[in-house]
Formats: sequence, structure tokens, C-alpha cells
Amino acid sequence: MHIIDRYAYTNAIRELDPAQKGGLALIAIILCLALDQPAVGVLTLGWMFALAVLWARVPALVFGRALLAEAPFLLLSLLGVALSVSLAPLAAPAVQLGPLWLGSSAESLAMATRLFTRALGCAAALNFLILTTPLLDLIELLRRLRVPETLIDLMSLTYRAIFVLLESLQRMTTAQATRLGYSGPWRAMRSAGLLGSQLFLDAYRRSQRLQMSLESRGLSGPLRVLPLDYRRDRRARWIGAALAASLLLVGAWR
Amino acid sequence: MTALLELEQLHYRFPGSAEAALRGASLCLEAGQRVALVGRNGAGKSTLMLHANGLLRPSAGQVRVAGEPLVYTRRGLLAVRRQVGLVFQNPDDQLFSASVVQDISFGPMNLGLDIAEVRRRVVEAAALCEVRDLLDRPTHALSGGQKLRVALAGVLAMTPRVILADEVTAGLDPWMRRQVLVIFDRLVAQGVTVLLATHDLSAARRWADQVAVMEAGQVVAVAPSDAIFGDAALRRLIGADE
Repeated sequence: MHIIDRYAYTNAIRELDPAQKGGLALIAIILCLALDQPAVGVLTLGWMFALAVLWARVPALVFGRALLAEAPFLLLSLLGVALSVSLAPLAAPAVQLGPLWLGSSAESLAMATRLFTRALGCAAALNFLILTTPLLDLIELLRRLRVPETLIDLMSLTYRAIFVLLESLQRMTTAQATRLGYSGPWRAMRSAGLLGSQLFLDAYRRSQRLQMSLESRGLSGPLRVLPLDYRRDRRARWIGAALAASLLLVGAWR
Repeated sequence: MTALLELEQLHYRFPGSAEAALRGASLCLEAGQRVALVGRNGAGKSTLMLHANGLLRPSAGQVRVAGEPLVYTRRGLLAVRRQVGLVFQNPDDQLFSASVVQDISFGPMNLGLDIAEVRRRVVEAAALCEVRDLLDRPTHALSGGQKLRVALAGVLAMTPRVILADEVTAGLDPWMRRQVLVIFDRLVAQGVTVLLATHDLSAARRWADQVAVMEAGQVVAVAPSDAIFGDAALRRLIGADE
């Protein structure tokens, strides 16, 4: 969370209009899903990696680590597609595990590959977006897209609260740890439970103080703030066109 | 000369509390004053400030801003909040946006100003509080002192005539505290009145023209700081010799 946030605020295209960055990611995701071919998925991954690393100057390692964090979920769901489990004997290639047969087939493997590359391409596109665009800018983009104000307010307050509560959490954990709250698994469990309930109370009190401070600054209905300024880059259009063309070409080639 | 902010005989009891928080507290502030509000924990300093901003409504007594009694309607409250700004003790309670610019812009946007004027005020307030170079940073990347100055800028962008600052110098290092007091001095030079609630008695003595002493829900003395600190009984009351 922190590392993604850090690069989102410090990358080389931070100032770029989120509509442009979001547009690029959206093109990639739509084509990746619509063309549904392993080559397209892999190419999307390549594109997004290149954009994030070369254009936004996010370290390759960071991009890779974000993908690696998502990979286990992807692989777990693929197991169900690639493998079939049955009580009746399965045709080869299959293995018998006691009463169960574990097998696979060329079709299911092909299906799994397609799913895997497609999901990987989409995940890469989203990673490009979140590693180059702070959540703040994404919320601003949604505001411009006329998402209801209540939702926007909820999102921006939640995003801010994450960091405030994270600080509270760290303070409370330290306070418990200095009094040996985490010496031993049972005590640790009890401390964590206490921490949870205290954090809830803390959040509640904070929300009341926040309400007061917002009122003192003239709160009336939705949270009205200045729209943020962004830089628009003509290159983004060319990149978008090249991205779409290359994905379509690879998709049509087969 | 009419007073800028008058709190007259305010009484208040928090719901569910047996003790009254304010028992006839009165305070009168004039333009361009530096006033320190001192007194023990629980004496009613914060409660008094919440009344001055219309966040709490007294059960008896009156709040007047520039001679006009505070009207507790939406419009009346907006009018008082335009004139009287409140800075809270913990900036994390005040900063609601992850964007420094957007947070500072919140107050002026609520005043219904146009975008260009809001932008101008945000930059002006940020410059006054020395946070201009932080405008593009996310709120959670700021230090405590920076957050406080951003919170202060958020109030100043509404160009209030009175600033109520509740314990804002607590937890700051001497340099940061000095910087905050310097910002207050700039405001006072522009005719703004600053009321600073504080336990930092040496800062109160050096910085303030007037010191108001609170005890058990009342303002028991208001006088030039030398007079307050020269009075043995008052010194005992505010713990000046502890």
C-alpha cells in the first residue's frame, strides 16, 4: 500500500491528466478482454511494463513486485480451470490420488493459458494506472465523470482516514508491545482484539471531531474543493493509438 | 469602539455530564489583539472556543460578533464562521483531504467564491503559513508541524477577523512553535485578533498582549500579561510556579 502510494506520487508522469493515463489503461483492458488471446495478453503486459518503467520511471522491480503480489490469486483460480477432479477414472494425462482422479486436457490447459494471459494483461494495465496515478487523482477523475458527490466524498474521506488510522494503529500497537502485549500467541490474540475495538472507538471519536472542524469551515452539503490542475501530453494520444493498433494487429494476425 | 467578538455570560453543560463546562464565562476581544487563554485542563478553554465559532450553543448567555448577536441558522452560522476561524489541536482532525491544495480550498469554496478567487486565496494563505511548496504534496506525507501550518492555512484562506487556536503549539519543537507564533504576529499586524489557548506559560507571557485566565468554567481574569504573571494568586491558579 505504502510503496504503491509512494510511486503514485513521485513517478515521472504524476502531473499528467488522470484521464489520459486512465484512457491508456482502459484501452488495454478493453482490447485484452475483447480479443481474448494469449499473445494479446502478453503484449499488453509488455506495453504496460514499458510505459510504467520507461515513461513513468517506476522501477522495474516495483512493477514486478506488484504483479507478483497478485499472481498467487490468479494461479489459485487457474488451478480449478486447468485441472479436473473426478471420482471416476479420467483419460490420460491423469494421476490417481486414492479414490480421486486428477486430470487435465489440452482444451482446459489452453483455456487456462488464455485466462491467465488475459488476466495478467488486465492486471498489468491496472498496475500501470495505480503506480502512476495517486488515488486522489482517480477520485478527481471520477468527480469529472459526474459520479455522485456522496460517493466521491466517501471515497476521499476513506482514503484520508486510511493513513490517519494507520498512524493510530501503529501508536497503539507500540503502546501494547512495550507492556508485553504480544509476548506469546494467546496474549497477542487478546491484544489484537482489544486493539481492534479501540481503533473502532478512535475512528468514531475522530469522525466527530472531523465533523466539527468541517462545520467550523462552513460545511454545507457536499465537500466542495478546488479542482486539481493537470498537464496534458499530446504524446499520450500517440501512445494510445500505437497501443490499440499493435494489440489489434496481434489479435487479428491469428 | 465596538468589540470584535464578545462572549457574554455563557453557560453550557455537555449532554450526559453532571458538571457544567461553562458557568457564566465572558470574554471580549478587540481588533488586532494577541490574547493567550490559560487555565488547567478541564477549565473550559476548548468549550469556550467552540461557542465562539457557533459549534456549541450556550444554554444561557450570548455570543456577539462585531456587535451582532450570533443567529443559529445556516446563514447566521456561515456568517460567524467567515469572521471567526477555529484551528484545532490535532491537525489530523481538521485535514480531511489527501490533497493539501484541496484541503485549504475547502473553506473559501464554502464561502461561495469563484474559482479564481479561491485559487488566489489558497496561494496567499499558503504563502502566509509557509506551505506554498507543499501544495502538491499528499497530506499524509507531511510532518506534524507541516500539517499544523496547512490546517492553519485552511482557516486563514477564509480571511477571518478572529483566529481561535486551541493548543496548536503543543507538541511542537521550539523552532516550529516560534514559526507558528510568527505567523500569528503577521496576522495581528494585519488587524486580525488571535486567541491562543495554551499550557505553554512562558510562550503566553512573551507573546501575548493580554492573558485571559479560565478556571472552572469561568474567565476569572483578563489583563496584560505582566499583571497576570505579577499576581501571586493568579500565578498559583494557572500553575506558573509549578
